[in-house]
Amino acid sequence: MIGVIKSLGNGVRALFRKQEAERELDDELRDYLERAAEQNKRAGMSREEAFRKARLEMGSMEGLKLEVREAGWESTLESFLQDVRFGARMLRKNPSFTCVAVLALALGIGANTAMFSVIEAVLLRPLPYSDADKIVRVASTWDRNGTVTSYTASPPDFFDWRDQNRTFSSMFSYTTTEFALTGQGEAKRVRAVMATAEIFPTLQAEPMLGRGFVAEENHQGANHVVVLSHSLWQSAFAGAPDAIGKTIQLDSEPYTIIGVMPATFRFPLTGSDALLPFGWDDKVMTQRGAHYLSVLGRLKSGVTVAQANADLSAIMEQLRKLYPDKDEKWGVRAQLWSAAMVSEIRPALLVLLGAVGLVTLIACANISNLLLARATVRHRELAMRRALGAGRARLVRQMLTEGLLLALLAGSASLLLAHWALLAIVRFGPTDIPRLGSAGLNGAVLPFTMCVSVACAMLFAAIPALRLSALDTAGVVRTSASPGRDAGRWRAALLIGEVALSMMLLAGAGLLLRSFVQLTSLNPGFDSGNVLTMTLSVPDAHYKNSAAVQNYWDETLTRLRALPGVVSVAAVTPLPLSGDSFSSSLQIAGRSVAEKDEPSAELRVASADYFTTMAIPLRKGRAFTEADRLGSARVALISETAARMFFPEGDAIGQKVKFGARGGYEKNEGEIVGVVGDVRHFGVDAPAPASFYLPLAQSGMDAVTIVMRTRGAAAALVQPAHKMAQALDRDALVGEPLLMETLVSDSLGQRRFYTMLLGGFAVLALLLAAVGLYGVISYSVAQRTQEVGIRVALGASGGQVVGMVMRQGLRLAGFGLTIGLALSLLLTSMLKGLLVGVSVTDPATLAITASVLLIVALLATYVPARRAARVDPLVALRFG
Amino acid sequence: MGAKLSGVVQGTLDMLILKTLALQAMHGYGIGLRIEQISRGVFQVNAGSLFPAFRRLEREGLIEGDWRATEHNRRAKYYELTVEGRKKLKAETREWRTQIAAIARILEATSGEL
Repeated sequence: MIGVIKSLGNGVRALFRKQEAERELDDELRDYLERAAEQNKRAGMSREEAFRKARLEMGSMEGLKLEVREAGWESTLESFLQDVRFGARMLRKNPSFTCVAVLALALGIGANTAMFSVIEAVLLRPLPYSDADKIVRVASTWDRNGTVTSYTASPPDFFDWRDQNRTFSSMFSYTTTEFALTGQGEAKRVRAVMATAEIFPTLQAEPMLGRGFVAEENHQGANHVVVLSHSLWQSAFAGAPDAIGKTIQLDSEPYTIIGVMPATFRFPLTGSDALLPFGWDDKVMTQRGAHYLSVLGRLKSGVTVAQANADLSAIMEQLRKLYPDKDEKWGVRAQLWSAAMVSEIRPALLVLLGAVGLVTLIACANISNLLLARATVRHRELAMRRALGAGRARLVRQMLTEGLLLALLAGSASLLLAHWALLAIVRFGPTDIPRLGSAGLNGAVLPFTMCVSVACAMLFAAIPALRLSALDTAGVVRTSASPGRDAGRWRAALLIGEVALSMMLLAGAGLLLRSFVQLTSLNPGFDSGNVLTMTLSVPDAHYKNSAAVQNYWDETLTRLRALPGVVSVAAVTPLPLSGDSFSSSLQIAGRSVAEKDEPSAELRVASADYFTTMAIPLRKGRAFTEADRLGSARVALISETAARMFFPEGDAIGQKVKFGARGGYEKNEGEIVGVVGDVRHFGVDAPAPASFYLPLAQSGMDAVTIVMRTRGAAAALVQPAHKMAQALDRDALVGEPLLMETLVSDSLGQRRFYTMLLGGFAVLALLLAAVGLYGVISYSVAQRTQEVGIRVALGASGGQVVGMVMRQGLRLAGFGLTIGLALSLLLTSMLKGLLVGVSVTDPATLAITASVLLIVALLATYVPARRAARVDPLVALRFG
Repeated sequence: MGAKLSGVVQGTLDMLILKTLALQAMHGYGIGLRIEQISRGVFQVNAGSLFPAFRRLEREGLIEGDWRATEHNRRAKYYELTVEGRKKLKAETREWRTQIAAIARILEATSGEL
């Protein structure tokens, strides 16, 4: 230890008193020489001979000094600084080389940084709760022939899990909903979380003002309390502390404010404006089949997810025995919340990160090639330095330092590129990737960029450095020989690698693009052009019965229909592609099935004009009419898929169906009067579900989505429609009008995002490969000037020269392409989950992408080939 | 022909230098000569090994340089052991003897012992 400190002290001193140390070393070595010569003289040699022998024995004086200097650590630092200075000078002296290298590398590292930022925000960053890695999502599962699907839980199941488990310190259930904040002018939308009281301990979040709700407030009658978010408190009460105890109107009912959450609290991650207790009555314990609750729990310390799963499974086992009619087919699964949230997104993002890593590799190969080319110019300089005593390790170190300098320059430049890329990603990325919007260059990303830059430098500088330092000293100094075939082989190998990797990325991007194009051409089951949608809900309190609500809907639809430019207006709930859905078990009259075996299907409520407005075709029977009202015979419609599934004989019309245990419908039954076309409700890329429709006029629904078909651009009606709906009942909650086309396009948002990113990476890779190809061919043309001159002098035509040069380039490209095609099978098999309707070996796509690459390769070799053809033989032979 | 000390026995060279200096303070050439003489020419130490070793030992605080005037009225650097150097030499010698004895035992072992 003392030795280390002393060595440090001596080293630092040596750095500062360098001149003195040099003089001392000179003196010491001269003394040594003189004494050695003295010894030799005593042995009988002449003075000159004695000195000559002594010098020979001592070896090179400069080399000796170097060795002595390098015995201390400070010399390493010093030579590093020297290398940095020298490297900077080299980069300044070759601005075009520096620019090309920095730009290519910055593109590679920048793409990498941007992609990593996305992954950091979406996958890696801890959730904003304390000890978030202890929060677990608990879900009901349904095992259908081995495929286990997660579902929301039913209240009785949740209570049993919560009360019987031994692995959770707390557990709560919740749903998200919307309220209209009324009584303060125009109704405002409030995003609310209905939750059980354990939400506060489970998330380890407490109100900053007032209190959270307690278990007793979860009962009907006691539940009219609300905890506001910080932002709602600010906007509705200007942050006044006396808001606690005041009352707000939600859906025209009074709620007492009991608390305000801190500004940092966000739940769910997309945010909410208010937390409320459920307000269940005693009947809730009978609704074991009603799955609509999301459940989160906090693990006791030291408990693993696997232990929690075992614990919950044992409870579920008991429940299955106790309630065979309801729970027989249900299971339970616990999963880390952070992982559950992104389980579908993670594989795609990781594939993209891999792809962007390949782009960076290509950029490195490019720089490596540039350095190799430049090394030809520098090999005499380096050989000279070796001859003068520079060790091999010293030269390698110097080359690596130069590489490092280059990489750090590129790394800094890449931050700017990554910043722009992230702005675009956040702006245009899909909204259903959690926390994508928070991606940015932050403290977690910058070290990553730094590491990638350093790794790149080591990667691309290593080959030229090792090759150069191994040069045969004497040979190079004497002749002006080129570094020879060996370097050429390296350059060719690097280039083939570049082309192969780009081919791989191009093939992947091509397949994704083809899959995407196929998806956009799919028919969602309706015509989305010129359709405006707008959610609309009215407070229960204003309309005492179904007839009153129905009158309100009639009035609204009639008024909207009168707006100029409107072709037809209808109402539906839930709207296709809106993210909402409603499924129900059903009984078909005349078929007796045990309750647990009842089939289920999607259920929709629609007004009479819905099918014509959305252009959903009527296949059989009739659609709803204005005559299907309260009091008249109950009717229903069935989708083609549902008709095939439940009535394979084709006898759907005339059958009577009755729908499930829960829901807000007055009487969920009807006689099937018609069959309508299928609608891809869950997304353009998801199959159309089996669905039933009930008429709005017989449902008593108090919240619908208005759909309006317009003559011109639907966007023109956004303002008037919103105003009109608001005017009818100022406490009605009118949502932001949305174009149906936007919903269709958003439903492919994630796929578009992945396709665009991989496409972007592939284009980048193609560009870099083209630059690489161009560089290698140009260089080889420059080297072969003499040869070309001789050929032209002997009568070779321009075309022949072009052909010769291009053949060389295309042979390399061809090699790369073949290898790349083989490798692309690797990448595309990882893409399998993202491809719809395209096989991973789709020959058309592979052929097209391969031709694109070939065309680019042709262009990249044609330009230098043309230059070669224009070589003047006289000039080439005289000065070559 | 004497064996040249290479980097492999660097530790050994350090020990030999320390031992040489334990007898008296000495300049660089003298140290090399002394090692050669005492080892009866088995070790020939050249300047290329000696000077880096001096620098190293100086850094570790085991030896100290001292400038003295020569007969030609130039200055010469004489090295001498520090207290730590003396301690280090003692420890190294002990260690060396143990190792030598052990190696010797192994090399001279009869087949029965093995």
